[in-house]
Amino acid sequence: MIFDVGYLILVTALLLAVFGVIAGFWGGRQRHPSLVDSSFHAVYAVAALVLLAASILWYGLLTDKFQVNYVWNHSEKALPTFYKFSALWGGQAGSLLFWTLILSVYSVIVATMFRRKQLGQMPFVNAVLLITSGFFLTLLVFAENPFKQSGFLPPDGQGLNPLLQNYWMVIHPVMLYTGYVGLAVPFAFAMGALFSKNLGNQWVRTVRRWTLIPWVFLGAGILMGSQWAYMELGWGGYWAWDPVENASFLPWLTATAFLHSIIIQERRGILKVWNVALIACTYFLVILGTFTTRSGIIESVHSFARSSVGIYFLVFLSISIITFLWLLFDRLPLLRSENEIDSVSSRESAFLVNNWLFTGLAFSTLWGTFFPMFSEILTGRRISVNAPWFNKVNGPLFLLLLLMMGVGPLLGWRRTSAEVMRKQFTWPVLGAVLFAGIFAYFSPRLYPTIGLSVCVLVIGTIIQEFVRGVIARRAVTNENPVAALFSLTRRNGQRYGGYIVHLAIVMIGVAVIGNTFYQSTTNVNLRKDQSVSLAGYTLTFTGLESEHTSNRTEFSAHVAVFGPKGQSLGTVSPGRNIYDKTPDQPTSEVGLRMSPGDDIYVVLNGWQDDGSSATFTIFINPLTVWMWIGGIVLVLGTLICIWPNPARKEERMPAQAGALADTAA
Amino acid sequence: MQLKISHWLFLCLLVAIFLVPAQVRLVHAQTTQQTPVPQQTPVTEDQINVIARELWCPLCSGVRLDACELKACDQMRQEIGLKLAAGDDLEAIKTYFVAQYGPQVLGEPPRAGFNWLAWILPFVVLLAGALFLVMRGRKLLFVKPGPTALPTVGPTVASNQDEPYVRRLEEELKRYD
Repeated sequence: MIFDVGYLILVTALLLAVFGVIAGFWGGRQRHPSLVDSSFHAVYAVAALVLLAASILWYGLLTDKFQVNYVWNHSEKALPTFYKFSALWGGQAGSLLFWTLILSVYSVIVATMFRRKQLGQMPFVNAVLLITSGFFLTLLVFAENPFKQSGFLPPDGQGLNPLLQNYWMVIHPVMLYTGYVGLAVPFAFAMGALFSKNLGNQWVRTVRRWTLIPWVFLGAGILMGSQWAYMELGWGGYWAWDPVENASFLPWLTATAFLHSIIIQERRGILKVWNVALIACTYFLVILGTFTTRSGIIESVHSFARSSVGIYFLVFLSISIITFLWLLFDRLPLLRSENEIDSVSSRESAFLVNNWLFTGLAFSTLWGTFFPMFSEILTGRRISVNAPWFNKVNGPLFLLLLLMMGVGPLLGWRRTSAEVMRKQFTWPVLGAVLFAGIFAYFSPRLYPTIGLSVCVLVIGTIIQEFVRGVIARRAVTNENPVAALFSLTRRNGQRYGGYIVHLAIVMIGVAVIGNTFYQSTTNVNLRKDQSVSLAGYTLTFTGLESEHTSNRTEFSAHVAVFGPKGQSLGTVSPGRNIYDKTPDQPTSEVGLRMSPGDDIYVVLNGWQDDGSSATFTIFINPLTVWMWIGGIVLVLGTLICIWPNPARKEERMPAQAGALADTAA
Repeated sequence: MQLKISHWLFLCLLVAIFLVPAQVRLVHAQTTQQTPVPQQTPVTEDQINVIARELWCPLCSGVRLDACELKACDQMRQEIGLKLAAGDDLEAIKTYFVAQYGPQVLGEPPRAGFNWLAWILPFVVLLAGALFLVMRGRKLLFVKPGPTALPTVGPTVASNQDEPYVRRLEEELKRYD
């Protein structure tokens, strides 16, 4: 009964979303206060109903109501409560409901924060957000009903996919969805600006923070997914250019380009058309990504025909793109730029190159992801486009992007004279050249040498920017260097937070280079107390033990690790979990010892029944830990960017040290 | 500190001095790596995995052969062992698996026929983007203000009939002036 009510709640939410869309557009167009208010109320009501529906499904999962097909398919009695809770996003219908829930939460926050602000465009913003919610509610009502029942009560469920029974898999989808779905908000503001014809810089100022928030969630979600792949899949890597990974990475790329290009619009009043188009592309990539992962079209064009949601996505995406393009062309006269770019050697040009590279990367990633599908349709033959292709095509672009991260911030707005360029670039370039020489001498490999040297260049420019900023600030305030650094960062959060984000990207770049070019590996069968040496480390297999938990048996091998001088570095315990319901799908638990220099990464492949010997794959992954440290720094840097600037609230007496640094340069 | 052009030339020379021998050593290292595996019995797991890392599971999506746990992939690794023992090198083994399982095992589209498009199009698009920016970008993206000035307030306000709404909207717009 309660699940029938759940379905009715979804139907009601859909009807209310449709009402809210009509109220938003009509009220916004006619400037009818009651209708505008209704659009706000519809946002709140839809969110409340979606939360109620999700709660009913959670209730079904937590109380083992296996008569509900979704619960039967994705849970079991013995599943730990933690995973019963996360099973909400473990399957198709549940994850679509979760998508709608997160969007509803975003919509409520936006509606609450802007209840008395920007009323010219808010009805349209509400309407656009409700259109997206309405689309997902349509899927839930007509194609993927999470409350569908079988008519009888099975004794137990099928269980959750073993690969999803991992704590990273509980938090990673939440982070990813929060980022992914949140990118609908800046798109809604862009559409609101187009509909209401308020196309100045106001919407750009508003969406900067509303883009940064989902952007950092998406970035953190992607990195957590990489961490999961690193810890669970046991192949020594973290990113495989898998279509599902690419689906999350694509909007991140275009959103990053957008975050850079809106800075130019704010500063110079140019690129208005480009910015609207870029955030729209980001939104379309979000919908496309959800479509590709939910329809199965990438795995095979045939699975698209079998998919219950594929056609809905295709129709929605097509209508959205056509509507956007119509609106964009209609509003082109209102999107005229206020200035021109003065010089090639300017920060505007650097931002343009940055945008060119980001969109180029997004295109090549999109193309590589979909090429197997095109190939299958046009030639009838399946081919695979995996890491080798992506590394060859995207690798050089990432390197150029890294280089631009070093060059761009040193260029001034409008134009940079040769004199200033010399002053700005001398020390970072010298540092990079010196590093290249020393590194190439000790490790004669071209690509890592170039890659790491560029990283050094970027770090040099960041340090130089901070040093100049601190000196400039001290000249004005006479603070001690630490206080000057703190207040500089605090008062120029957008700029210096951005540098910290750049530093995070460099850390991730260093980890990629280390893992890609300097990984060592071996595959061995070890008897108890037998050792193997790899990259200076010695690993000794000391025993195997097993333990049965609620729904699985956990096998753990113990491997003692010794350093180059024979010193003990502790024990790693790679394991395998064999699930009661799916014994043919064991999962791997990597044994890992992380350090700033390298990771000792051990995978248990198999063992003799008495545990007297076991087979291992061992990897030594240099510098990989910097990827996760970079992730934390990325979040910190973004928080600094988002944090409200105290200087705006106070009088502007203390000269902006960042501006001084610019002048000094 | 300011550097003259001669100083920059010197720096470039310095880099070249360091990098050229490095590159020579790299080429040498690669040549050494590409030497066909000598016949030896038995072939080790590590030797098999060096080849398996260059191939992809034909059944799973995006899983490297050395990491795939399917029985079929286990058999493929055993086949690699047999081929290595028979003296085949990486290219011969790759050709054999492509003939057996199709180009899917390569992990990248073969550079032939329609599949050339996979390799070429990204760079064509990038080049087109660069040309667009250089040649026409200024005109299309950075149009000078036209004769009709931007309306300072959205046209929605002019025809407004509803007073409370107008007041709220104007207050809002003032906040951004």
